[in-house]
Amino acid sequence: MIELFDVTRRFGDETAVDRISLRVERGEFCVLVGTSGCGKSTTLRMINRLIEHSEGEIHLDGQPIRDFQEDQLRRRIGYAIQSTGLFPHWTVGRNIGLVPRLLQWSGSRIQERVEALMDLLGLPPEFAHKYPHQLSGGQAQRVGVARALAADPEILLMDEPFGALDPITRQTLQGELRDLQARLGKTIVFVTHDMDEALTLADRLVVMHEGRIVQQGRPTELLRAPANDFVASLLGGDDRGLKEAALIRVEERMLPVAPEAEGMPMVRRHATVNQALSLMLWHHTRHLLVVDEDDSPVGQLSLDVLMHKARHE
Amino acid sequence: MSRDARPNRVLVSLMSLGLLTWLGLDALSVAPNRLVQGTPLSPVEALGWMVTLLGAMFMACVVWLAWRPSSARLWTALGLVTGLLVAMPLWLSGAVVAVLDPDMPQARVGIGPGLWVLLFLWLLVLVELRIRLRLRRVWVWSLLLFVIAIWGMALSQWLTPLALVQEYQARSEQFLEAVLYHLALVGAAVGASLLIGLGMALAMRRFDGLRRLGFGVLNSLQTIPSLALFGLLLAPLAWLGNQVQWLGALGVSGIGWAPAWLALVAYSLLPMVRNTYVALEGVDPGVIESARGMGMSPVQVFFQVRLPLALPVMLEGIRITTVQAIGLTAVAALIGAGGLGTFIFQGLGQAAMDLVLLGALPIIAMALVADALLGALAERMRRREAA
Ligand SMILES: Nc1ncnc2c1ncn2[C@@H]1O[C@H](COP(=O)(O)OP(=O)(O)O)[C@@H](O)[C@H]1O
Ligand SMILES: [Mg+2]
Repeated sequence: MIELFDVTRRFGDETAVDRISLRVERGEFCVLVGTSGCGKSTTLRMINRLIEHSEGEIHLDGQPIRDFQEDQLRRRIGYAIQSTGLFPHWTVGRNIGLVPRLLQWSGSRIQERVEALMDLLGLPPEFAHKYPHQLSGGQAQRVGVARALAADPEILLMDEPFGALDPITRQTLQGELRDLQARLGKTIVFVTHDMDEALTLADRLVVMHEGRIVQQGRPTELLRAPANDFVASLLGGDDRGLKEAALIRVEERMLPVAPEAEGMPMVRRHATVNQALSLMLWHHTRHLLVVDEDDSPVGQLSLDVLMHKARHE
Repeated sequence: MSRDARPNRVLVSLMSLGLLTWLGLDALSVAPNRLVQGTPLSPVEALGWMVTLLGAMFMACVVWLAWRPSSARLWTALGLVTGLLVAMPLWLSGAVVAVLDPDMPQARVGIGPGLWVLLFLWLLVLVELRIRLRLRRVWVWSLLLFVIAIWGMALSQWLTPLALVQEYQARSEQFLEAVLYHLALVGAAVGASLLIGLGMALAMRRFDGLRRLGFGVLNSLQTIPSLALFGLLLAPLAWLGNQVQWLGALGVSGIGWAPAWLALVAYSLLPMVRNTYVALEGVDPGVIESARGMGMSPVQVFFQVRLPLALPVMLEGIRITTVQAIGLTAVAALIGAGGLGTFIFQGLGQAAMDLVLLGALPIIAMALVADALLGALAERMRRREAA
């Protein structure tokens, strides 16, 4: 659990972070979002003390972070950044094993851990001997995440880790990170300026503006009730309906298959409702047949139900 | 690459020039004793038409090969040039026997301008061939070592009447001493400036004011002519040597190794500090940030990340400094610092050009070798982490 109480950070006369309070529960995926320069990275770096806070208190599981020795604290917190920060003169395997080595694990234990992590992140074992410049952007970022996870930290801090990747790789990695978090139960604080990324990943969405937190809550809460015009426009303005639909799976809204559903255009059960709406517009239909991975029917989706549901939520 | 129809202009012009040199310039000079100006001899005068034409044919052959440079033809050219480089000392050995009068034991043979120019041109041809054929450096160096071995054998066995060899034999112990002393002085100066330079670069990174001041001072040091700097150091060092017993005992005085070493360090500092500073600053901030973020201590970040990543650029500074110091040490002989410069200035004083060469040639060789070795090392490091 991470808690920030009235935390402020100044750089000279400039206040980069202005009295923010935040509580991230154990196992929660918290995303900080906001325009560039609003203090997201500064907030993140104050948590692992790469930047010291000027005022206020930051607690880790109830203990002020200033009670910890800096290096010890950081070894307990995973950290991944956009440029990956992989050491270019070390092999992938050595890069991943960095924190375990700092913690003086035995060689064989490090070796095992590196292999397990590469497997977890979908990196072929022979990559262990490659150098970072031999990797694609997506592979390098996987290595970066593996390195952050190496000593099995409870907390993971990520600063725009997928910001430099192409959209397709980015979406793949977002999906994998979500799954990873569901499986490992890490507490994650994730910084991004990409609202779609923020909405898909976040349990808790924190919108920052000029060093302050303007609103925080579950993504749907923010979409439905933005605190002001800034949050509303940041969340997509009139596109918010579709953004919200992107957070709902088709299977959450489908009804049992009726006989007349035969021959309707199909949609996968794991697709999102905004994809379903797109299909309806495309096929000029109000009804879709919901299928699973093998294209066997599992339900049906109708526009009327979607409208009805939306009105009563 | 393999079937490049256009002539390789570099090779064609270098070898044509070589051909003209061979046929036009004097290859040798013969003098009855050390002090008399020698009589110049052309290759034809030295060993006759047949051999001269044979050499000319080899060179013409390279021109012809370079006219339509396929890879096979360039390899053949490489073989021919290597052959020429090996043939030169053998030709020289033959020529020495042919032109010397056995009744005049004092007579000596000088290497004429023609042979020097040819040697230079052929080495350039070798460089061009290395680039065209994409040869590994190691390869070319082994080739050169082979050529040098043949030269060494010829020089020690058959070329004793060469003036250069006689100058060497007259002072072979002195020569070895001078080479070692030269190297020691360069090593001590580069080593000291590396340590001081690293310290200064680190301090400058920490304190902004110091950076401007430091670079200002070093820049102005660099503009003082070397002899003037030696002169400036003379008085204070002489005083120090007199005042402080143990310094005096070490040989610190206004002349000798002390002012030479100090001046060398002073000149070495600017390139050393500049490169070290730029190298340390140039390390990707993202890498440093993540190193700190992973929980490495400042000492670990410096020695495991920043320093190794800065090393290739730092090596560039060491390379520049070393080559510069090898040359400057020659000048330092003027203030009694010893080293190979001694021969150069003695030779100049006695108008004995071959003695000048005895000092100058090893200096050039040292500079080339240091340059190549350190350059290759830096390149090797850089290649491993190339982005
Ligand atoms: N080390 C620093 N020194 C001075 N100013 C800084 C430093 N780091 C960040 N800032 C300033 O603090 C503000 C917030 O920066 P940052 O947290 O990096 O923003 P974000 O990550 O949201 O884009 C910016 O105005 C930036 O210029
Ligand atoms: Mg940022």
